[in-house]
Amino acid sequence: MELFLVPPTSCPDSTLPQPSDPPRSPWWTLCHLSHHGDQPKSPLPRSWPGQVSRFCQEMTKGKNYALPNASWGPDMLSLYHEFLEKTKTSGWVRVPSFRSNRDHIQGFKLPLDLSANSDKSDWRLFTRCIEREGQGYEYVIFFQPSEKKSICLFQPGPYLEGVPGFVHGGSLAALIDETFSKTAYLSGEGLLTVNFNIRFKNLIPLGSLAVLNVNVEKIEDQKMYLSCVTQSRDQQTVYAKASGTFLQMHLEKDSSRQ
Amino acid sequence: MLRSCTAGLRSIWALRGRREGAPRLSTDLQPARRLFSTEKVIHKDWALPNPSWSKDLKLLFDQFMKKCEDGSWERLPSYKRRSTQESEDFKTYFLDPKLGEEERLSQAQLFTRGFEDGLGFEYVIFKNNDEKRTVCLFQGGPYLQGVPGLLHGGAMATMIDVALGSCTGGAVMTANLNINFKRPVPLCSVVVINSQLDKLEGRKLFLSCNVRSVDEKTLYSEATGKKLPLAILGLVSAVWGFFCLGRGGVDLVF
Repeated sequence: MELFLVPPTSCPDSTLPQPSDPPRSPWWTLCHLSHHGDQPKSPLPRSWPGQVSRFCQEMTKGKNYALPNASWGPDMLSLYHEFLEKTKTSGWVRVPSFRSNRDHIQGFKLPLDLSANSDKSDWRLFTRCIEREGQGYEYVIFFQPSEKKSICLFQPGPYLEGVPGFVHGGSLAALIDETFSKTAYLSGEGLLTVNFNIRFKNLIPLGSLAVLNVNVEKIEDQKMYLSCVTQSRDQQTVYAKASGTFLQMHLEKDSSRQ
Repeated sequence: MLRSCTAGLRSIWALRGRREGAPRLSTDLQPARRLFSTEKVIHKDWALPNPSWSKDLKLLFDQFMKKCEDGSWERLPSYKRRSTQESEDFKTYFLDPKLGEEERLSQAQLFTRGFEDGLGFEYVIFKNNDEKRTVCLFQGGPYLQGVPGLLHGGAMATMIDVALGSCTGGAVMTANLNINFKRPVPLCSVVVINSQLDKLEGRKLFLSCNVRSVDEKTLYSEATGKKLPLAILGLVSAVWGFFCLGRGGVDLVF
């Protein structure tokens, strides 16, 4: 879920998570789609925390964009394979990414009575809006459940330009938000954004690889506090630092669809 | 002197623009031909109504155009890329001559103007110079979705950044941006971003804005930002800042 917030007082009480409710909604379908045949369709490791493994219940037919394509440069590919290896050895999860977040929540109700307006097939997730390979956002998120942290490998294309030759700050902010959003939900059903803060340090050249490191700093009073450092692969250049606060909320099953 | 500077930068540009990870300009990655076909496309002012604009957006646009008649407000034009002269200079000094004719023009375009009509960011900014504030009318299209049915927060952050930048006088870069989200924005609705310059401290510009519904009854978000003159950056950025100065409609913020 991306950045938005409804003040808690305007939410019907039933939509706010109750302390006694265990997290039970499989928001994300984390699955090993192998469009490019690089990942066997094996069952998920039993070591995965229950919440994350509960997410992996349903295969989806939608295209998974979090897979290499011809536009990925050597930097992006090599780091991707490094983390792919970690998904087999150290508990990392590669987060699938679809054209719309609707693909992740089949069978579940959106909060705030949004369901009625959300079934438009031509609507797209902002960071997956540019179809052409290599022209816009090329990214993949890896999540580490045991440490509640994630890493996003980002290769920006020419359509994301701000200052000539460099990434538009707004486009970077959007991807940080996207990574926050997935991390927050996988770490504890963080759904609605309260606050987003970003400090830009250096420009990212178009076509280069930027690495976003996101951590959940704390969870308190139904709010999740996350941080992000965006830097070059060698960590010598910091591009931006950001923080975000998310409100925890879980989704109800949509009984009308059953 | 500028020519020798920019010629010297060519190798830097080639290195930065074509280093590992850059999208290949090969035949199987065709640039969008409509963007390169005519000068008219390059010079098109995108801050004008098109068929994708909703009734709300057109109505507000007309209201503000009326306010422009006495000169108290002005509409800021908005282009996808730089002027002909700037493009020529770009081609001469910054592109690899080995590339084909079509490929000599950069594939790059301003992020917020890179969508087909109605699919992404539809916006126009009106500026009140006396009061040092701007009003941005924004309609977020179907490719800007976050939660199904809602505008992506990152898209809202992008527009807030653009709106804050419109209050500054020239080429700037964003240092900080802080946004408090109050309510979700339904996708394809129209919002009004009211921005102002709060103070100037040396070279630092402190700005703020709020995002409201058309009837002003709903407050969607509030934000503050700090911006700095672009010339503080390295030589490459400073050269481009020179090209871009004074083009009020080009969004230079990032």
